[in-house]
Order: sequence, then C-alpha cells, then structure tokens
Amino acid sequence: MADSATSRHPLEDLQKLAKEWDVPVLSDEFARLMDINDPLAGFREKFHYPKMGDLPLVRRVDGQPPVDPSEDGIYLCGNSLGLMPREVRNQLDTQMSQWARFGVFGHRHGFMPWAFCDEWLLQDIPGRRPAEETCVMNSLTVNLHLCLTAFYQPAGARTKILLESQAFPSDHYAVESQIRQRGLDPAAEMICLKPRDGEHCLRTEDILQTIQSRGQEIALVFFSGVHYYTGQLFDIAAITEVARASGCCVGWDLAHAVGNVPLRLHDWDVDFAAWCTYKYLNCGAGCIAGAFVHRRHLGEGSRERLPRLEGWWATALRLDETAGQFRVTNPSMIQAACVRASLDVFKLAGMQQIRRKSLLLTAYLEHLLKHRVPSCSVISPRDPQARGAQLSLLLACPVERVLPQLEARGVACDERKPNVIRVAPAPLYNSFGDVLRFVKVLADG
Amino acid sequence: MADSATSRHPLEDLQKLAKEWDVPVLSDEFARLMDINDPLAGFREKFHYPKMGDLPLVRRVDGQPPVDPSEDGIYLCGNSLGLMPREVRNQLDTQMSQWARFGVFGHRHGFMPWAFCDEWLLQDMSDLVGALPEETCVMNSLTVNLHLCLTAFYQPAGARTKVLLESQAFPSDHYAVESQIRQRGLDPAAEMICLKPRDGEHCLRTEDILQTIQSRGQEIALVFFSGVHYYTGQLFDIAAITEVSRASGCLVGWDLAHAVGNVPLRLHDWDVDFAAWCTYKYLNCGAGCIAGAFVHRRHLGGGSRERLPRLEGWWGHRIETRFDMTNQMEPDETAGQFRVTNPSMIQAACVRASLDVFKLAGMQQIRRKSLLLTAYLEHLLKHRVPSCSVISPRDPQARGAQLSLLLACPVERVLSELEARGVACDERKPNVIRVARRRCTTPLAMCCDLLKCLPT
Repeated sequence: MADSATSRHPLEDLQKLAKEWDVPVLSDEFARLMDINDPLAGFREKFHYPKMGDLPLVRRVDGQPPVDPSEDGIYLCGNSLGLMPREVRNQLDTQMSQWARFGVFGHRHGFMPWAFCDEWLLQDIPGRRPAEETCVMNSLTVNLHLCLTAFYQPAGARTKILLESQAFPSDHYAVESQIRQRGLDPAAEMICLKPRDGEHCLRTEDILQTIQSRGQEIALVFFSGVHYYTGQLFDIAAITEVARASGCCVGWDLAHAVGNVPLRLHDWDVDFAAWCTYKYLNCGAGCIAGAFVHRRHLGEGSRERLPRLEGWWATALRLDETAGQFRVTNPSMIQAACVRASLDVFKLAGMQQIRRKSLLLTAYLEHLLKHRVPSCSVISPRDPQARGAQLSLLLACPVERVLPQLEARGVACDERKPNVIRVAPAPLYNSFGDVLRFVKVLADG
Repeated sequence: MADSATSRHPLEDLQKLAKEWDVPVLSDEFARLMDINDPLAGFREKFHYPKMGDLPLVRRVDGQPPVDPSEDGIYLCGNSLGLMPREVRNQLDTQMSQWARFGVFGHRHGFMPWAFCDEWLLQDMSDLVGALPEETCVMNSLTVNLHLCLTAFYQPAGARTKVLLESQAFPSDHYAVESQIRQRGLDPAAEMICLKPRDGEHCLRTEDILQTIQSRGQEIALVFFSGVHYYTGQLFDIAAITEVSRASGCLVGWDLAHAVGNVPLRLHDWDVDFAAWCTYKYLNCGAGCIAGAFVHRRHLGGGSRERLPRLEGWWGHRIETRFDMTNQMEPDETAGQFRVTNPSMIQAACVRASLDVFKLAGMQQIRRKSLLLTAYLEHLLKHRVPSCSVISPRDPQARGAQLSLLLACPVERVLSELEARGVACDERKPNVIRVARRRCTTPLAMCCDLLKCLPT
C-alpha cells in the first residue's frame, strides 16, 4: 500500500508547502492556498454540498454572527452518508424515462437495460480486478450472509471465527447467527480480539500473532478493512497472508474502505469481501451493495466446494464461471442509476489522487486539532498509512453537550457515545477550508 | 375469497350489461361503453402508459396502416413489469432533494426519514396482504426474503424433512429450496416433493394438493407454494392449503410475487406462517425494487429467536438500543426482527408512490374490474381466436388477472408480430404467452385491439 511518494508523513508535505508559500500551516491563508492548488478542487461542484440554510439543526448561536443560509455547511460525515453526486438526477431521469416509455422492454432496451444493469457497473468498482470477481447486489449484511454461508465451513477442530471485539454490530450479529445456524455456540466459537489495555486500536503484530498461535482452530478470519469506530485501516495484505498460511479463510467488510483507500483484493489473495455503497461511494442511503469472491473460488466444482444460498439470477451468467453465481435476484435499476453516477466521478478522479489528498487533509485536521483543541485526543492510528480519511476524536466532555453546538453551527459529523465523534474529510468534496472551519467551531465549543 | 357479489361468473355480468345497452358483448361498442362506465377508468392517467412511438419493437407491418406514434400501445404485461406511477417522480424528487440538502441528517429529518422509510410503508403494505403492520416487512428482494424465511422456518427433524412445492415452481424458488436443503446436508432429490398436475392438465387440482398433504404430511416439514402460479396464472386456495398443512403439522410459506396487488389476500386470518413478494409486478414499483415479507404474529414475541434461528443483522435490533453498538442483540418484537439491513430510501420512494394509488383504488374494486376484464378477454379469445387455448383455470375465482394462452404455432413467430403492433405481453416457450390485464390501466377496448393482432 505504501508507495515512495507517500512514505513521508503528509504533515511534512504540508510544512514544505507552507514554507514555499511563506505562511504558517495553522493560518487561514494556508488553507486558502491549499484549496486553490488542490487538483480535486473542481470535484466539489459535482456534488450537492449542503448549505447552512439547508441543514435542519442549524440555528443562530449566542455570541456568533447571524447564520448566512447561502454559506456552505461543514460536512465531514461522508464516512457515514456520502453526499449526492449531481449526476444522480440525470441517471435517475434516464431510468424513469425508460420505465415510462418501455415498460417491460426496459429489461433489454435502452441505457443500462435492467436485466444487465448490475453488470454495467462491474468495470468501474474501485480496487477491483477483473469483472469476474465482483458483484453489485443486495446490501452489505445480506452479502455477508451469502459469503459466510459459503465460506464458513467449521470442521473438526477448525471451527472458530476471528473478528474484532468491537466489530460493527451487524457483522457481529451476522457471525453469531451463522454460528448458531450450524448448531454451534457463538460464545465458544467467536474469538473477539481486543486491543491492549489502554489502547483503542489493534496492533497488527497482535492480530498476526493470534492467527499464528491459534490458526488451527480458526475456520475464518473476518475483519473490517477500516474500523468503523477507530478509523483504523488494517493491514489487509499481511493479515490475509498469515491467515491463509494458517489454513484459514479470510473475509473483509470493506464498508469504510471502498472509495476511501486503495484496495487490491485480487493481488492480496483475499477470499471474499463485501461493502456498502452509501458511505464513501456516495450512492445514497441503503443503495445496492458490492461483493468480491476471488477467482480461485470460481470455476469448476465451486458449487460443491462452496454450498451457497441460490436463486435464479446466478444463471444469467454461466454458472461456476464468475462471482455472478453468488447473485440470487434481479438488480434494482434505480439503484444501479445512482451507482453509475457515482462511479463516473470516481473514474475521473482516480483512487490515487483521492488517497493523496486524503492523506493531506487528514494530517492537516490532526495537526490543527493538536494545536487548537488540545483537550481532545485522537484515538485513530497516528500512522497515516494505518488509517483512511476518518479521525475518531475522544472529547473531554460528553458528546451530547458538544454535538448540538457543532450541529447548530453547520457541522455534520458523527457521534459514538459516550464521548467520541468521528470526523471524515472526504477528498472528493471537502476542502482544507472545511477542515479549518470545523476545528475553529470545535475549539469554540 | 368468494363473496356474494362475485360468485356469479363475471361473463354473466358482462352479458347483463350488454343486454341493458343493447349491444353484442363482442362488439367494439360494448368495449367503449364498458370503459366509459369503468369506476377505475381515471386511474390510467396516474400511470405512464407507453405509446406506440415509445415501444422499441413497434414497426410498420405489411397490410396495416402506418403507425401513429401518439397512439397508446397495448400493454398487457403488468404481471411481469408494472407500469410507472406518475407520482414516482415526485417521491423521488423529494428524496433527492432531502439527500442534497440534509446529507446524513436525512436519516431522521424530512419526509420518510431514511432510518424509518421502510416503516412508513408498513400500514399500507400490510393492508394489501391482509396482515397486521407488526407482521409485515419491506426489505431486500423476494429471493433474499425467501432465504431469510426458509432459514428460520425450514427445520427438518426426524422423519419430517421434506418440502412440498409445485413441480413447475418459479426457478428462483426451486433453486432457493434446493440450496436450503443442501445447506442442511440433505439431498434435494430426496427431500423435494414437486407436485405435478395430472396428465394432460396444466393446473394443479386443489383436491390433489390437499390429498398429498394429508397422506404425506408427516414427512413434510414445509409446504411452500406460489400464491398465483407464474406460468399458468392459477390462484391457489391459500386458505384451504394452509389449513390442511397446519393440521398435518407442516409449516406453510407462500411466494406471493404474482398475487400481491392482483388478488385480495388475508394472510393473518388464513394463519399463513410466512410469505414474501416482490413489488415490481402488480405493485408497479420498478424493476428490482425493494420487496415485502410477512411473518405471522404467533411466531413473534418471547422465545422467537430460539424457535426460529434467523440470519441476523443490525436492523433486526430494536430501535431503542440499535445504535448503542453494544453487540448484544435485542431483537425487535415485530416481524422487523427479520430485517438485517437499513432500507433504500429511493426504493421506498417508489413504493410510497405506488401504495398511494392502491389506497385510492382499493383491492375490492381492483379485483371486481379484474374479474370482468379477464372474463372478457377469455370470451373474446374463444370467439375470435379459436386456435389458441387458455391453460389458466376456467374458474374466475381460481385465477388472477393473467391468462396463459397456448398458441397453435411457436411463440417466436407470433410474439414478434404482436410486438410490432404495439403489444406488450410475455412469452413462455415454446408456445405460451401470458396476458395480464392491469385493472388500473387497461381498458376493454385494448382487448379488442389485442385480439385483432393475434393470428386466427
């Protein structure tokens, strides 16, 4: 994942630019110049960016000037709900028009004919290798169940699932219920790996060590790629390698990783993965999700090796040849329209550019917080290569007190009780100015 | 299902009106008068009805006048893909506007806030299937919902291991059942009882279904049928089959893909265990739209999680503590416990638009017109196209809107001619077409046009 251009800490890049421009990093002018020189600056306009007048919780705050409704809000919640690409409306209009004019003929006529609308999206999912390993289907948790049903095959001594102790609830419940389905006891079969005392993030060496020492008991290693709570980006390549060497299957929940960090699922030999599309992929709440199954699991005999829950849509492609065999149902054409619009933006921007800006933005956020809001601490990893866009901040006071103040002043971020907020500058539509404004508001509160 | 107003054959009602108006039932004038007097006539305008100029396969046909692009097509394929309610655009605009303005705050603010958008649909959806809202879910897709239900309800044990279904069940249902059986380490060939019609018949006789259940009931863990059969259009006697199954100790589930929005349903009163349906057929919600499911109230409440081991996810957690992220599952007390994932707000928008039309029309009115329309179609075919035969049940109470027609020649020849002349219907090779009157959108005059297109 590291490449020579980013092995230097991004803060050094910021400081270098600041020196070139002869302005302090902490100054307003620095933010302004960063935005002027941002190669992705033009992408903000491709999205609907909520204004102060739009946001439902904005109000005049004592001691602050009146709210200017036409001013941009401070939207740093793209890790939770990505903003709407403007192009979505056009894509929806196209599908609505086809539905209106063609009726049933829309399955096979027009732009993205419905019987194939999911396949039209396979080429452009970020981080994928050939279309044969990828599906656009269902939702994240449903896809996890489809994968777990096939890939979690407890046998003999090898019956356990290794996951984070604070895995996203849906993942935890999915795994629990899968274990129970097989007549086993979740309490016995789930290895929920905790961070060390006093730490928030899992150390890679501890994960690897657990896999190596207990690998023979472990049927499946199942982690999130980027952790929802801490923002930690796990070393997918290393964990996968060690897990596979220990004879375990490896699956990844990439909800917070896709569109956030570059991924190489095929090269990393990941067995399966799934993700939703309404976070960094900006496809809208509850939109159609994605899944990956490595090519080595496809092809002849796969149906016997990986007994799946089946449905008719697997036969749209030749059975056993691609990951499409994991599909069960015909896709939603309006959801496909949203994904099409979003992927078109990603194609233009490219994950390399997105990641480059993300490293700078998040390092900038961290630096400002350190100097302007010393009372809050960052529980996300310090190593920029071990995190994505998000920083999780441990506040000095309960989040119920701070969040309303922030929201009144146009901030959109995310709370995790009792006193953590998550802030994620999204490179496609956030600016250094957004980050600076956020820190100022937080410092005031 | 029968009520006194419809126990008379609808053809008699047509003939009575024809006599009143002093026109032959088979005349163009009769169709025109029926449409003028149709209480649902105004509903056509609530939909986008494809024109000749819109339909991609329309072309000038030898011996026919030039195509008038502004003329309505002959859309009789609502059983496969329902037409678009005009209101969908407004509902979508509302959701797009909220997404644009609110971002993440759309989960809890505005119209149909996204965290609850599925719940906003439950009252009206449950009315369509005769369920309590607490027994209904709007979620996922049909086959996914079948898997969620089958995982919980198909519990082979001891001698009771089999699943009874139609021999010609819809493929997705067949594959779903097969794969569920295989998941449990059993052999589908041994455990699936695929009930065939009698030799020379197309439809299953109710007495044969009931007799099979009664004689083999102790082997059967689950009876799983479609409510309306996709191929023949047969409407099964859901009440009787459910009753006999339950009396034999079997669980009973229904695929209602072709039944919801087509025929009145009373899932709660009929004691159905579970059911699932898609929404893009008679419910007009758009290809691949969010689906529905029903779980009877007796399966909910205390201990349900132990009795019905489900595939779980966070959206089945009760709302009060769902976002506390404790990883301690506290199931919702309603059918909502079967949910695994947050719903799609744009799909909910489409369903909202469609349900609003159904609320106005009412299933009673829809069914009343459907009986007349389909009987009319049957009557016209009998007299005008004697070479084709109807393989759907003759009893109007044993079918929905759809008639399946066995043609005298291969379907490819006929279908391209029909499509060139603006007809939208559906083929099932080698020589069956399915024609479905959409009560809301299809006037009787259209039937005349269809008939003129079919080869004699």
